[in-house]
Amino acid sequence: MSESKDPRKTFGEALVEVGEKYSNVIALSADSSSGSGLAPFKEKFPSRHLEFGIMEQGVIGFASGLATTGKIPFVVAIAPFVTARPFEMFRNDLGYMRQNVKVVGRCAGLTYSTLGATHQSLDDIAIIRTIPGVVIINPGDPVEIKKAVHSAAEHKGPIYMRIGSPAMPILYNEDYRFEFGKGVVMKEGNDVTIIGTGTVLSKAFDAAEILEKDGIHASLINMHTIKPIDHDLLIKAAKETRKIVTVEEHYLHGGLGSAVAEVLALEYPAPLKMIGVDDQFGGNGPYEKLLGLYGLQAGQIAETVKEFIR
Amino acid sequence: MHKLNDDEELYLEQIALKIRKNVVRMIKAGKAGHLGGALSAADIIAALYFKIMKVNPQNPGWRKRDRFVLSAGHKCLALYAVLAEMGFFNESILDTYGSLGSKLPGHPDMYKLPGIETNTGALGHGLSIAGGMAIGLKMDGLDSKVYVLMGDGELAEGSNWEAAAASSHYKLDNLLVFVDRNTLQISGRTTEVMNYEPLYKRWEAFGWCVREINGHDLKQIVENGTDIPFENRKPSVIIANTVKSKGLSFAEDRVNYHYWKATPEEFQLADQDLNELGRRIGI
Ligand SMILES: Cc1ncc(C[n+]2csc(CCOP(=O)(O)OP(=O)(O)O)c2C)c(N)n1
Ligand SMILES: [Mg+2]
Repeated sequence: MSESKDPRKTFGEALVEVGEKYSNVIALSADSSSGSGLAPFKEKFPSRHLEFGIMEQGVIGFASGLATTGKIPFVVAIAPFVTARPFEMFRNDLGYMRQNVKVVGRCAGLTYSTLGATHQSLDDIAIIRTIPGVVIINPGDPVEIKKAVHSAAEHKGPIYMRIGSPAMPILYNEDYRFEFGKGVVMKEGNDVTIIGTGTVLSKAFDAAEILEKDGIHASLINMHTIKPIDHDLLIKAAKETRKIVTVEEHYLHGGLGSAVAEVLALEYPAPLKMIGVDDQFGGNGPYEKLLGLYGLQAGQIAETVKEFIR
Repeated sequence: MHKLNDDEELYLEQIALKIRKNVVRMIKAGKAGHLGGALSAADIIAALYFKIMKVNPQNPGWRKRDRFVLSAGHKCLALYAVLAEMGFFNESILDTYGSLGSKLPGHPDMYKLPGIETNTGALGHGLSIAGGMAIGLKMDGLDSKVYVLMGDGELAEGSNWEAAAASSHYKLDNLLVFVDRNTLQISGRTTEVMNYEPLYKRWEAFGWCVREINGHDLKQIVENGTDIPFENRKPSVIIANTVKSKGLSFAEDRVNYHYWKATPEEFQLADQDLNELGRRIGI
């Protein structure tokens, strides 16, 4: 894989761009500004950067109130602290009130690999997915992060966007077209469909290449929007390759795998294998090793796929 | 600051009585509902809508309006009654309370009726939302104010104190909170269930300018409610001492009328009390 880029830095740069475009875009921090890549935004638009301190319930409510006056608040902090911690505020003040607020959970998944389960976020997609009307975006490379931030500013309604923190390999070039709710076929193949998302899309990408070398033609889908999920593309994939494998840095319960299973079970039953973290709190250790512990390294994914389609 | 003359006071008393009557009317229609907190707040809500706030029933989304956030969403029967009285919607809607698909859920929904600013019901959300509104209005250079009504039991929610700190940090002098201190919550006396006294000192310590009034004295409500900010660059809070279920003699200051499943005899008593009050103030 070629070049990589820091997702938080990328997010921060993108926010400056949308800040230039839309004067009502504001940034809200919960003592999380610099770690969220907000430094350039703060520097450029000091009066549009609001610091709330370690107040994650409050900051969601304030964002909701700000949105009622026509602002487009982006709230960014460590993923569990803007999802699990203020869940009811997210549900009522943003979801039920249908407010135009963008919540960005950063360092999601196992990113905080050494800090342990309090800081990891393996359930954020699961819990936010239960809120009607909230769009969930899980970008898979830096270009996609940037495009998603622009789309988020243009979309009217609450959004949860999830980003990691380790450098992400660049998979797309600048003319890549991003569209909410539309999965992207990155590789065609007839033997199996691999669906990757977010921080581990690149692992799924590498796995597909490994398989190709071994003579297995996998189709690869980037499912950047977990909600609403690209229904039509899922059915099409199930029809074409029958077997489907999902890859995510999240619990198996409630994340991408579950969302795919819900569609397939009801509309086009197909054999499904989900790769992710099972029902346990995340461990601790170096990030890449931790991914390996849950079978999320490219070689492991390829092995799992082989066994599954055998 | 606006001082009420006697005529204005009488007019507001009449409005407050209509609100109380309509609260009872809705509970009759729905067979049960949150009574006590709606009645303790009826005078404050009457004064807010008919004297203190700038709102326009013909143009509910008017950009320069003042905002009302009912943080204690269970008091919404009083809000529905005042909005109907102001003409935001037809009063006949009140009779649908409790029916399937009614526009009057037991906690307010801003997408069901005009004039409702927030979806509340889970306690401890309103002040943060109001604070966000207050910042947004200031950013836009509008001099609109944000008024919040909270319960005293509600103050045990920690999220309120996050919002209280942030509102003073951001010097939100366009924000006024009324605490409906009726000294009761579901399980008993607020001081016994979870003591948050001394309220005055707590708010003051959070950087607010505090006043204490009789929450059934319309002159005091209006005089103080139209006098914000009490201090420049500080949010204001009024601790309004009230009586839960105010206006219904058999229910006043009694814990079991928080949520009322009335018997026909009680409805009769309620009508008697409110009609009697009506005769005294000329409606
Ligand atoms: C978060 C949350 N917890 C519990 C409730 C249930 N509840 C509804 S009203 C109430 C008591 C409120 O007491 P207070 O704030 O003093 O209101 P008032 O006396 O004016 O009715 C409770 C516990 C709720 N609505 N929200
Ligand atoms: Mg009370």
